[in-house]
Amino acid sequence: MVIAERKPLGEIRNMLAGYKRILVVGCGTCVTICWAGGEKEVGILSSQLRLASSKDGNELSIIEAVVERQCEKEMVEELRDKVQEVDAILSMGCGVGVQTIADIFEEKPIFPALNTTFIGMPEAEGLWTEKCGACGDCLLYWTGGICPVVRCAKGLLNGPCGGTRKGGKCEIDPEKDCAWVLIYRRLERQGRLDLMRKYYEPKNYRAVKRPGKVQAMQA
Amino acid sequence: MTGQNKKIIAFCCAESAYRAADRAGRLGIHYPDNVRVIRVPCAGRVSVLHILKAFEKGAAGVLVMGCQEGACRHLTGNIRAKERAKYAEDLLKEVGINGQRVKVVNFGPDMAQKFAREIEEMVEKIKEE
Amino acid sequence: MPVKIGLFLCDCGGSLRNIDFPKIRENLAKLEDIAFVKISHNLCLEEGEKAIASRILGENVIRVVIAACSPELCEDKFMRLLEGLGLNPNLLSIANIREQCSWAHERDVTKKALELIRMAVNKARLLQAVERGEVPVNKEVLVVGGGFSGVKSALELSQLGIRTTIVERESALGGKLRELGGFYGVETSPKEMLGSMIKAIEEDKNIEVLTSAEVARVQGGAGDFTVRIRKGGKESSRSFGAIIFATGYRTEILPQDFEVEPGGNIISQQKLVQMLQAPKKSERRPETIGFALDFSDENCRLPTLSTLNNALLVKEKLGSEVYVFCKNLKVDSEGAEKLYQEARDRGVVFLKFEKPPQIYGENGQVKVEAKDVLLGEEVTLLCDLLVAEEKTLPSEGTESLSSMLNLEIDSRGFYQAENIHLYPVASERKGIYFVGNCRGDLDLARASTDVSSAVMNIYEFLSPEGAIVEVEKVKADPQKCRACLTCIRICPHKAIQLVRVDSEKWVAKIYDLACDRCGICAAICPAKAIKFEGYSDEQILAEVEAIGEGL
Repeated sequence: MVIAERKPLGEIRNMLAGYKRILVVGCGTCVTICWAGGEKEVGILSSQLRLASSKDGNELSIIEAVVERQCEKEMVEELRDKVQEVDAILSMGCGVGVQTIADIFEEKPIFPALNTTFIGMPEAEGLWTEKCGACGDCLLYWTGGICPVVRCAKGLLNGPCGGTRKGGKCEIDPEKDCAWVLIYRRLERQGRLDLMRKYYEPKNYRAVKRPGKVQAMQA
Repeated sequence: MTGQNKKIIAFCCAESAYRAADRAGRLGIHYPDNVRVIRVPCAGRVSVLHILKAFEKGAAGVLVMGCQEGACRHLTGNIRAKERAKYAEDLLKEVGINGQRVKVVNFGPDMAQKFAREIEEMVEKIKEE
Repeated sequence: MPVKIGLFLCDCGGSLRNIDFPKIRENLAKLEDIAFVKISHNLCLEEGEKAIASRILGENVIRVVIAACSPELCEDKFMRLLEGLGLNPNLLSIANIREQCSWAHERDVTKKALELIRMAVNKARLLQAVERGEVPVNKEVLVVGGGFSGVKSALELSQLGIRTTIVERESALGGKLRELGGFYGVETSPKEMLGSMIKAIEEDKNIEVLTSAEVARVQGGAGDFTVRIRKGGKESSRSFGAIIFATGYRTEILPQDFEVEPGGNIISQQKLVQMLQAPKKSERRPETIGFALDFSDENCRLPTLSTLNNALLVKEKLGSEVYVFCKNLKVDSEGAEKLYQEARDRGVVFLKFEKPPQIYGENGQVKVEAKDVLLGEEVTLLCDLLVAEEKTLPSEGTESLSSMLNLEIDSRGFYQAENIHLYPVASERKGIYFVGNCRGDLDLARASTDVSSAVMNIYEFLSPEGAIVEVEKVKADPQKCRACLTCIRICPHKAIQLVRVDSEKWVAKIYDLACDRCGICAAICPAKAIKFEGYSDEQILAEVEAIGEGL
């Protein structure tokens, strides 16, 4: 899922400077699960903002809310009553959520409390790691289910760079495993090393279509 | 009242710290009266949100008091409390509230003197403002 | 309509003199939802109980606040009292104005007492009733391991009318009973013991035995474990209410202690016993035999027993000189002190060291150099044979079984994390118990005690009273739960599982029987979906609010 983390309080307060009534809205999906923007985090950030404001002697009133999925127009629509009572909105959703709210409530300034970082999964308690680069051309079949686009520091598509360190560690980041060593071992275990012979042409990043669009078939 | 009306909230785990506090009373061991104890089943029940709200509502210091490491009935409650307190301290620093106003203390149920001492120490600390 | 709260203040026989009770009553009676404020001298005595009863029944209150001594002393009592009066016992909030107020401070504490009572009132306003109910519990027990402890567990459970299934991975029951030559201080031989146990099992209709079988997977929780058992290449699913682990131990000479070469003169205890029982005529009688004990760590109960016993055997059969090099002797087993005394009387010499001795090979003998603590001198001894210590370690497979069940093992690999709350036989998961040497270096008597302890625990657990819980005291709200799996992963008692609700949504479910009411899940839930009645976020924060309110 989408992984995000909260911006430092200082940065958030700078954005909010001058606004006296704000809505802090979390999202109940990805950012709840990665502990960045769920109901609890909304409570924590709001508490910090109130503490900071009262310390500085500034006025600040906060309405706290959570939307099940901030990337859905219908769900964001439910905030309408609360939005009317505030001067600005602080979204604790991912970048998509922020923009969805911004599109619906065009007249209100909206600020992101999170930095959206990557698509990933939980590795250990409280630790999320990036697994997928959303490159739009998945080659996981050929690499035994290990993505070199994200997990190789150089994003190589045709085998290791030759600088792999002892213990199978990456040349650039010695804390990381060399993705291609992992891929080799995985394919070896499955008896499919012949797949390493496939040649991948370099990805053409010049003509990358942004923003991406996917049209699914009508059910 | 000592500390000019400043209050400390002590979240005390029912297994150890709460009993130590009771014992202090029974033994006539006195300590400053600006502490308010909130009983919890385990130090691990206390969340970061509780700590921040305590400051929001006017507490000058927060103590989270649980069992000694290795003696938590729920294995890791006291350790989680320690990590959460550290996180809460960082969040408070972000707000400009410095000076170790959140402290985790480990107890056995008989440590009455220690309870009194910890309260005294925190009261001293919050005086420095 | 505001909640009607009945407030009782106890002045502990008039002894709490630094609290101005009438002033407190005056202040609190002003609150809209306080039905009355009654001051009593002894709420804990009969007169006090009568006062509580008459007021509660007379004025139809639906929440009760009692300001008195520590809830440690009075909570249970007042909860039962309320229950008797038809009020849910969870609708009670107690303010500790004695041990943590009047007795803890010298000066007038009226202000603090008032605040503590306001905290309790704030909390009381939010309290919800929690009902007690019976949870369906499977009454059958699984015993993993068919050695001494496992078999004994099954037999004792059967005597209490409980059906068990023993799963043993070898082809026959017995465990170490099939290997050991004898028990120290016990007349019956292991063989005889095993024989009579097996006979008893065969005749017992309550016990099912599955040999050459293993536990493949365990799901569920206390009262309702679903276990997949693998036997003969096939797997079958069975349900049990409780599980006893009796997976036993192995012995090993630790490589860091000794290198034992076949044909060499550093030998194992087993080899020594073999030699003594069937001596080869051609071999020269060893004149000096040394025993090594407690070289690497002091868990040496069984090694001490074998060392002492075998030292005596050497004296009896060979008459050699015997030296025991040890840091500690663990003689807390039944009969061990006597054995030690006997060994001393027979001329066995004990050398106590602080630092482990140096061991060298020299001219076909073993040279042992150590500083004897009592002599205060370096001592050098040449032994024809040195018998190495065999440490007691958990059976093979303990680690993988423990991770399958999410159970902690200690630093030596034994079950039951070093936690005083778990000793002697409990695990951090309710309904799962450990008996015998799978949890440490125990002698026979201790293993037997373990069995009785676990059996009694299970008997209680499977009884009708054992199945009564406060229903959904800690609950994950299916509407708010995001199935992020956090609570499921961190629950120290493994009491939470993912279930489907309305055949659609996955949510976390907290199993009342397995839950130990710690609230760690409620604190960590990022969606604030878990409500712990009596210690909910709102209830805790309501107490915090009262602190800020002042007078």
